[in-house]
Amino acid sequence: MQIYLPIAEIPVNIILVLMLGLMTGFLAGMFGIGGGFLATPFLIFIGIPPAIAVSTSTNQIISASISGLLAHLRKGNVDIKMGLFLVVGGFIGSSAGVFIFKLLQKSGNIDVVIAIVYVVFLGIISLTMIRDSIRNFLEQKFGYSSTNANSKIITSILKFIDQMPYRIYFPKSGVMVSIFVPIILSCGIGILVALIGIGGGFLMIPAMVYLLRMPSFVVVGTSLFQIVFIASNATFLQAITNNNVDIVLASLMIISSAIGAQIGTRTGYKVNANNMRSFLAIMLLGVCIKMLFVLFSEPKNLFIVEILK
Amino acid sequence: MKNYLFFSIILLCFFSKTSFGAPLISGISTNEINIDTKFKGAQILLFGAKGDAGNIVITVRGPKKNFLVTKKQKLLGVWYNGARVNFENSYSFFSIFSTFNNGDIQEDILQDLELGKDYLNFSTSTKINEKDKNNFKIELIEKMEKNNLFNNGANKVEFLDDTLFKIMLNFPKNIVRGIYTVELYLIRENSLISFQSIPIYVNQVGISAKISDFAIRQDMLYGFVAVLLALIVGWTANYIFARFIGK
Repeated sequence: MQIYLPIAEIPVNIILVLMLGLMTGFLAGMFGIGGGFLATPFLIFIGIPPAIAVSTSTNQIISASISGLLAHLRKGNVDIKMGLFLVVGGFIGSSAGVFIFKLLQKSGNIDVVIAIVYVVFLGIISLTMIRDSIRNFLEQKFGYSSTNANSKIITSILKFIDQMPYRIYFPKSGVMVSIFVPIILSCGIGILVALIGIGGGFLMIPAMVYLLRMPSFVVVGTSLFQIVFIASNATFLQAITNNNVDIVLASLMIISSAIGAQIGTRTGYKVNANNMRSFLAIMLLGVCIKMLFVLFSEPKNLFIVEILK
Repeated sequence: MKNYLFFSIILLCFFSKTSFGAPLISGISTNEINIDTKFKGAQILLFGAKGDAGNIVITVRGPKKNFLVTKKQKLLGVWYNGARVNFENSYSFFSIFSTFNNGDIQEDILQDLELGKDYLNFSTSTKINEKDKNNFKIELIEKMEKNNLFNNGANKVEFLDDTLFKIMLNFPKNIVRGIYTVELYLIRENSLISFQSIPIYVNQVGISAKISDFAIRQDMLYGFVAVLLALIVGWTANYIFARFIGK
């Protein structure tokens, strides 16, 4: 069954899109991630133009995050004060991201940039996860343990952070930190949100733990809090600046991924966490490799003709 | 189909019984095409009569659009969008029928009136040399022909008797909306004897056209609706699952 997408201007198979949403939602729910960096490449692979895949994905992230945020708000696991500083930085970053997006689209190379950024990110993340899985496995089997080389770098970054001005106290998290740290941090992630259609939780959460030194119980909720605002800002700006949010495609993805996420969360409780992580890592590596093929394979037509609006 | 039949009978009666003064007269079965999601293309029947000697050329021209032609280039094995040429105000559809034979000497007037795909004007503000511009132009025409949007040469005008002729105008499913013009030219000895122009209105109807109009004309509201929709669905999904299925 086909449905015509008004903004992408192509017909797609409804069942295929729904399956896709269900699957990204399921994985997202299972691993506690937003799923943006799975949804966007999958949409590209089924033939949605990359620029539209990115913007539509930010739209879907709003719905995926609000649902998790509500649960965390009920439990009181959100540091609103910290969240608001993150939102300030995220607004600046995502607005800049949409602007960069526009420039790249004008020069015609947004598609290539999206693919390259994905290859780099997915490559780094999946290889790190695979390395951690192997290390974990070795530790469990042979009691082998390696020293963490990263700790030295983090210590020196923390030293630098502590010297930054305008330090204020965040009572919920119980930390004292310069307001510039959350603002700069979320500004950088905000650019990525707009540029490649991700929520950025997989970057924000470790940054909150290691750089902001927030206690783990507020980390996920606060991250979701800022994602809802930033993804909303990015979606809105994409719609008015680049006209590339496809509301029909977004609706299909939103509904199916919401259902998938609920099933995924419940499945997540029942399976082995370490196996799950290895599976996700291999899957991300697969998406990364597929994306490489997109970049390197020879196009069918050497010339593209498009009608300008 | 009933309409066509009715129309052609009326037209035939009209033309065969009447002697007319005009050198060229014609009519079409409809001047409206509505594109919906199930649109598979359309056919319009054109009937006419010529009352004077000379060759007939009939063109259908689609609304003028700006076309961007991009050449894919390779850098370190990665394909990216390289040189691009913007052709302003080019026809989005062009179809031509004529009574000229292939062997006929091409008259200057055909060039002046842009009667033929090779005679169409392609202007660009992109700074580029003539040779490259020509290459991009050829690519544009080839792509348009491949998409059945440019149609050249092979179509003949079918005559029912000495004066009456009919042709079937084909509109493929990928036409853009806008005003199309059917133009009839009567040409003799390198000069235009008679000219007639009939508009065809191609509209987009249905929900998807409404959505894309909404997205462009009221982009603020569209963006707001997109965000709100996501918030509501996320909220609802969370509520339903928590309420009925449990945590």
